[in-house]
Amino acid sequence: MSDATDDAGTDDIGCLEALEAFYAYLDGELDNPESIANFEHHMSHCRSCFSRAEMERALTAHIQKSSKSRAPDALRSRLRDLIDKF
Amino acid sequence: MDPLYGVALRLTRNSADAEDLVAEAVAKAWAAIDALEDRARFRPWLFRILHNYFLSDYRKKSVRPTEEHLEEVFVDEGEGDVYSLLNDQPDEFLKWWANPEKALLNNLLGEKIMSAIDGLPAAFRTAILLVNVEGLTYDEAAEALGVPSGTVRSRMKRGRTMLQKALWEQARDAGLTVSDNMDGSEI
Repeated sequence: MSDATDDAGTDDIGCLEALEAFYAYLDGELDNPESIANFEHHMSHCRSCFSRAEMERALTAHIQKSSKSRAPDALRSRLRDLIDKF
Repeated sequence: MDPLYGVALRLTRNSADAEDLVAEAVAKAWAAIDALEDRARFRPWLFRILHNYFLSDYRKKSVRPTEEHLEEVFVDEGEGDVYSLLNDQPDEFLKWWANPEKALLNNLLGEKIMSAIDGLPAAFRTAILLVNVEGLTYDEAAEALGVPSGTVRSRMKRGRTMLQKALWEQARDAGLTVSDNMDGSEI
């Protein structure tokens, strides 16, 4: 894990803090600009965290690709019948 | 309908049960649509009906219940941070986790990934599906699951760490990981 110091005027949050912000950032839930800047700065010089982020992005893409399911025709027909009753 | 069925399928892990679950949830939603004041909240509201039905009536009626299925719904998730969670993991996994090989995923079939997702406790599996697959925000997922937003955040962290570990174990069992190789050039 990285213990590099900041050289661009951004706080170096360190790997521990980056870990806690990690998934929120990847999910677009980190909305504080300063937190985003600090996280991205950490990522720019920490190979370990960067690799994990790349892994997570790839994993999320695989999950999205694998999880899409089309409802069976029988279910579609069943729901149409159901709604017709109302 | 497809997103509802997709989540139902991952919850029930059975297509027949998933169809029943979606049909019941849609019937309940259709009957209660007038109670939805903010139509912009339709998606989380609908997912919440689906999830609630899964947790209650559906489990009682299911012809295919399993002890694992029942227990996992009430998993003790706590609010532990990722660092604490990692303290309990084996060294080999931590070594890989500190510098994962992205190529590992490309060597695992989609069915292996789905198997790993299906192996997660329902609370984590559902949060991951709602956020990462259906694109709900943490607040919307919290509304759908009837939990605070912080709980969704916690479930996302823990669930995905568990998922990575499950995938790593599958890759290790298949001889796809080289734990001493830290440059990511080979798996």
